[in-house]
Amino acid sequence: MASRAPGRWGKWLVSGPPLLYLLIFFAVPTLIMALASFRTPGEFGGLAPLIDDTGALDLNVESYARFVAEPVYAQVFLKSVWYALLTTLACLALAYPLAALIARSPKKYRNLLLLLVILPFWSNFLIRIYAWMIILGPQAALVRSVNGILGAFGMAPVSLLFSSFAVLACLVYVHLPFMVLPLYANLEKHDQALLDAAQDLGASAWQRFWRITFPLSLPGVYAGAALVFIPALGMFAIPDILGGPEDSLIGNVIKQQFLEARDWPFGSVLSIVLTVAALLLAGLAAWVGRGNLGTPSSAGESRA
Amino acid sequence: MRRRPVGLWIAAVAGYAFLYIPLIIVVVYSFNNSRLNAEWVGFTLDWYDKLAHNEEMLAAAGNSLLIALVASLVSTVLGTMAGVAMFRYPLRLLPVLVLTPIAIPEILMGVALLIFFVLLNFTLGLVSVALAHIAFCIGFVAIVVRSRLAGMDESLTEAARDCGATPLEAFRYVTLPLIMPGVIAGALMAFTLSIDDFVITFFTAGAGTVTLPLQIYSMIKIAVTPEVNAVSTLLMLLTLALIIMASRLAPSLLGTQEEKP
Amino acid sequence: MKRLVLLLASLLFALPAGAAKDEFHLYNWNNYLAPETVKRFEEFCKCTVVQTYYSDNEELLAKLAAGAKGYDMYVPTSNAVQALIKGGRLKPVDKSQLTNLKNIDPIYLNTPFDRDNKYSIPYAMSTTIIGYNDEKIRELGLPTDTWAVIFDPKHLEKVKGRVTVLDSANELFAAALKYLGYSANDVDPKHWDEAVAVIKKAKPYWAAFNASSYIKELTVGNIWLVHGYSNDIFQANLDAQEAGRKFKILQGMPKEGAVLALDNMVIDKNAPRADLALKFMNFMLEGQNSAELTNLIGSGNPNLAAVKFIKPELLKNPAIFPDKAVQAKLEQLQDLTGAQRRLRNKLWTGIKAGR
Repeated sequence: MASRAPGRWGKWLVSGPPLLYLLIFFAVPTLIMALASFRTPGEFGGLAPLIDDTGALDLNVESYARFVAEPVYAQVFLKSVWYALLTTLACLALAYPLAALIARSPKKYRNLLLLLVILPFWSNFLIRIYAWMIILGPQAALVRSVNGILGAFGMAPVSLLFSSFAVLACLVYVHLPFMVLPLYANLEKHDQALLDAAQDLGASAWQRFWRITFPLSLPGVYAGAALVFIPALGMFAIPDILGGPEDSLIGNVIKQQFLEARDWPFGSVLSIVLTVAALLLAGLAAWVGRGNLGTPSSAGESRA
Repeated sequence: MRRRPVGLWIAAVAGYAFLYIPLIIVVVYSFNNSRLNAEWVGFTLDWYDKLAHNEEMLAAAGNSLLIALVASLVSTVLGTMAGVAMFRYPLRLLPVLVLTPIAIPEILMGVALLIFFVLLNFTLGLVSVALAHIAFCIGFVAIVVRSRLAGMDESLTEAARDCGATPLEAFRYVTLPLIMPGVIAGALMAFTLSIDDFVITFFTAGAGTVTLPLQIYSMIKIAVTPEVNAVSTLLMLLTLALIIMASRLAPSLLGTQEEKP
Repeated sequence: MKRLVLLLASLLFALPAGAAKDEFHLYNWNNYLAPETVKRFEEFCKCTVVQTYYSDNEELLAKLAAGAKGYDMYVPTSNAVQALIKGGRLKPVDKSQLTNLKNIDPIYLNTPFDRDNKYSIPYAMSTTIIGYNDEKIRELGLPTDTWAVIFDPKHLEKVKGRVTVLDSANELFAAALKYLGYSANDVDPKHWDEAVAVIKKAKPYWAAFNASSYIKELTVGNIWLVHGYSNDIFQANLDAQEAGRKFKILQGMPKEGAVLALDNMVIDKNAPRADLALKFMNFMLEGQNSAELTNLIGSGNPNLAAVKFIKPELLKNPAIFPDKAVQAKLEQLQDLTGAQRRLRNKLWTGIKAGR
């Protein structure tokens, strides 16, 4: 044991560089803007000076008070949480078979199949959304067949474009690879022998999935869920381009604070609320799934 | 003997179809004889021709590719380190610093970074954009690597150390191959995020810096012509080619060589 | 692996270091300067024009407020010019060097935003009006010269789900205020509440609040009626004709009046090459150069000397060249105070949140 380098030294070597980078290029800038949430908006934009005319520090909690006093912002926020949740669940359902297929293919094809999943996302975001507008447009086959079915049941035709459906479909589309990749990274290490043994013992396909594969894949599920739910919460471009009149999400409201309203402190407040909520939800999910994740200490216990 | 469940195949093929139908539209419409990306009018190669003469667009595409390569490389290295560190040691600050850039609205981060760079009198340009991209990509890589490590058996690494390997050797020959699929997945995500980023890039780009998303989004209120489809198609193919080349250059590292018996 | 790293490193060092001397950094709207004009200016001034783009005044203002520098000139709309002047970000223009300034129609000079044009020089303009599919609107017998067709449920019933309005609080409030008979720059909170009521009553009939993809949808025929910018509607008609459509996209100037957006050339306080910026201003004040943009995108032109270079069919268009009667009803939007902006945003969020 004495020949090993002390654990603490190793810890700083490995965690040091990313920690330093993030402290400089993320923590400091963010703290500047977090401080902005306590400041007054500049009359023509930006922020009012920190030291006001009387020489005192101009800090207040007006912007926070506004958020609490006006319920409309909390309503938009809750709607965004709902959309993000739906997106995450839909992504999970679509991504799982894809990731499983790639994980089970012969090794030399895996990276290629993975590449194929992500290749579409190297084309520009905007034109992919425009492609969706074509798919969902009133002249396209999809809408006409849906309305044909609805018409057969005597129901009124719907418009798929400029609707919540369009927003959700695109949210799922845009976030799908961020669920596939983490799931794949996890499923790839599953031992097929376990499943073969279970099958030999008489387990059905569903039982093999639900009692072996899925629990083992939970870390990947949580990682994917985090990487979909959290960014989806802050999305604004998709509602802007193909949302209906009532599909405004919290990301749109935050963007407006920095642009049209030129109210950076309030934008900062909304951003802080969003970030804290997202982190809390992620933390909650991690805590709930703690038993399945394999905490660091359990792996290192033998080395005490 | 592998038993292939048909249901899985069908669901996976449906998944690929979902991913590729919009892309096929994108590629097909790059040959569309209409200024708008709205419906098919006729076949033409004009847009590719226009693109070949459009120095601005090509320079923007080149910038995007360069920034994405650098940013994904650096953030993969830093993110892997972070993921490993978060798995091995009980850290408190790093997990928060890693997760928060993913949660924070891009516009806030963009404005914050611009203010920060201005305070430091740092010249804005390609470098400032790359630095910004790295900051938000690290988290994606770290989370995937960490989840890959979850439940992983440390006894293998211990065994290597017991046989006399230095920590670096143990990492390179034991840990790294084991987490490689996670590292690759993270790198691919980082590249994707960087090459398509608009908001943060908008704020941290310098007076003469244009990336492809900046160029394209500025067209949003006029018309996003099929020239954009053309440049996107070409960029995709170029990136694919680069990655295939890279996998030939470093097969053992990326795990693409044939399985040894 | 090592080879890969070396390749990337060499790419990085191949980047050009620093800005060359004779560069004119122009931060402009996309497609707001004809390529021929750029080439001619580059020959004239023996310099390189480096253009970067924004797509919204507010994006420009936010970036400048955060401290971005390195630009010589930008082209903000009047209300943004107001904000920039008040924020002390502009360099006064040396009018002695602008020999062509006399070309500008005096009605566009000496506005309340910039008395005496100390900082800004008019560049191009557009109006925010109604755009429509002439075939469909004729079939349905709807009027096209009043905001009522966008706001009155009596008319909207016939086009439900086929109308879009701009996703801009300022523009939509202005249209609603005009419809109600007030000034577009009215800041009375009671009048704003009336406008909100009008908007909420009409909202169920609208397909979307959209400032980006509505032109496309109008051209294709999915949307029949829009609240939009005159340049865009003009362009939509060109696209529709090119695609061989049976219908035309026409512009409707509402009789209650509309918003005029006058874009101006301004010089950044810390412009590295203010001299090149002045040269460019004078260059663009020449009739021929100014006309090139109008011929390209159908933008309004405040330059009288440009008239003889502009295509005749554009000259006849009242949305591009409003006559005296229409000009009297056009208003430029004023910048709001911080408190007003906050109120407007609260109302806007309420409208868009569906309550």
